[in-house]
Amino acid sequence: MTTSSETVCPPGTVITGKWQKNQYIVERLLGRGANGSVYLVYRRGHPDRYALKVGYDTLELQSEVNILRALNRQLPSSYFIEADDYKSVSGEAAFYVMRYVEGVQLHQFIRARGREWLGLVGLKLLERLSSLHSLGYIFGDLKPENVMVSPYGSVELIDYGGVSAPGRSVKQFTEWYDRGYWNAGSRTGDEAYDLFSFAVMCIQLLDEESLRGASAQLPQIRSVQDLEAVLRKSSQLKPYAAWLGRALGGGFANSREALNAWKKGVYARAVPRKRNKTPRWLQRSFFLSIVFAGAALYLFLKT
Amino acid sequence: MKQILLITDGCSNIGPSPVMAAAHALQEGITVNVIGVLDYGTIGELGELEIREIAKAGGGLHQIVGTSQLARTMQMMTRKTVVQTIQQAVNKEIRQILGGGSLTELPPEKRAQVVEVVDELSETSPLQVALVIDASASMKPKLAAVEEAIRDLMLSLKARAGTSRLSVYHFPGRGHGEDLVKDVDWTENLDGVRGLFGRLQMKGATPTGPALLKVIDEYRCGTLEHNQSWRELPGQEEGMLGDYVV
Ligand SMILES: Nc1ncnc2c1ncn2[C@@H]1O[C@H](COP(=O)(O)OP(=O)(O)O)[C@@H](O)[C@H]1O
Ligand SMILES: [Mg+2]
Repeated sequence: MTTSSETVCPPGTVITGKWQKNQYIVERLLGRGANGSVYLVYRRGHPDRYALKVGYDTLELQSEVNILRALNRQLPSSYFIEADDYKSVSGEAAFYVMRYVEGVQLHQFIRARGREWLGLVGLKLLERLSSLHSLGYIFGDLKPENVMVSPYGSVELIDYGGVSAPGRSVKQFTEWYDRGYWNAGSRTGDEAYDLFSFAVMCIQLLDEESLRGASAQLPQIRSVQDLEAVLRKSSQLKPYAAWLGRALGGGFANSREALNAWKKGVYARAVPRKRNKTPRWLQRSFFLSIVFAGAALYLFLKT
Repeated sequence: MKQILLITDGCSNIGPSPVMAAAHALQEGITVNVIGVLDYGTIGELGELEIREIAKAGGGLHQIVGTSQLARTMQMMTRKTVVQTIQQAVNKEIRQILGGGSLTELPPEKRAQVVEVVDELSETSPLQVALVIDASASMKPKLAAVEEAIRDLMLSLKARAGTSRLSVYHFPGRGHGEDLVKDVDWTENLDGVRGLFGRLQMKGATPTGPALLKVIDEYRCGTLEHNQSWRELPGQEEGMLGDYVV
């Protein structure tokens, strides 16, 4: 296999494409994964920044590029920019350039901003998944590390290395989020597979402790019932429990239905309702203003 | 495609060399992967060397892992080897069609097409994996994990679009000179199978080489009617790339 397992590009490295001859300058490392290292780069003479992934394996990377190309043809805003090869001192490596997605990974976002954001962020993620499904793809390796969230909760999927067509085997998966790991169904890609991963992810984001407990089961008796038990017990999961239970059990016909159910149930409940009563802070400030007015009147009359 | 996946935790000590056996397997078109499992201590320099040499001779991959990573490692190795096998065959054709050149030398458009073919064939070609488990005394505490990992592998194989079969063997056997025991014959499903390993007699002997040779034999005789590899698929004798590229 054509591998160049470790191509390290320190800041300032100029990556010149062998075929298209475009030049990218490395600003910093964004992250490393199982398939490659991703750098923040800019093009010489252009202000725009991009994310550039240097693959560990030419074939795997090309396989990802093929998916991204196909998606690009169908999407209005393009994510994929170009693919090329880079010759460095340590050998030759394939790379591709994509849109730089600003933000933080989903779990970091929820940790920093609070669990009450899950309603909105979950909704946006389900929208993403559902549009990917409607194009005829299953995401596969859905996990918090592969979901980027911007400061205002807009959501973007990254890492299309696990994407496959429905009916084909899921290309990449990660234990916790894998339906097979929980003995809850096959590893053949379908919309329910992504919804299952989505549900486990929600459990993790709301109550990681309990998820860890459930996964500590012996593998031969580990089952989706362990997750359902967590749904019943955990108070943090309560508002989401019905929806999550359905996703874990493969109860949604497709992701569109799952999205609608999320909107109707979970999301509606998670969004703070308008209160009929005057909020306390307003009452308080009203009271204070009366006091001030009285004091002012008193002072006025005294003089 | 035919694979042997050997799971062991140490050195062989009886009979012909397992490295030679693996070389025979490769000759027969069977790729040999090796996983060394251990939870404590080390496998030892000799053990590691043997594991590496068997995989090299068998054209496969090798890795030493703890039981907790066993399932994942088996799945990834099997998958990688499938892709590699397809890629090697496709590379040969690339050379014929384009007159030399590996994947990185191919211009982007051609490369995209070739990889599409490799992906497609990796998913759809029939696959057989024979699991060969070292059940010598030191492996005893790990066998539960091995069994789980085998079931997990079956789950991944079942998800493929192409027919996938798995068989399970362990060594050494019960009686004198019994080098190999067949636990599960070629199957596409392990759901009904309780307890992969029957009565085991844990002995110190580790006849890895003889066991491998027996499995090659099994491949040769036992599975002829199922033994269709992608090369023998109808319509593909002309070359796999023919329809797609050029
Ligand atoms: N388009 C992007 N914009 C910003 N950061 C990215 C982008 N793509 C990847 N990253 C970062 O790089 C990390 C690894 O990339 P990823 O594609 O997930 O690699 P792998 O497929 O090897 O897991 C991600 O977790 C993320 O932090
Ligand atoms: Mg990733």
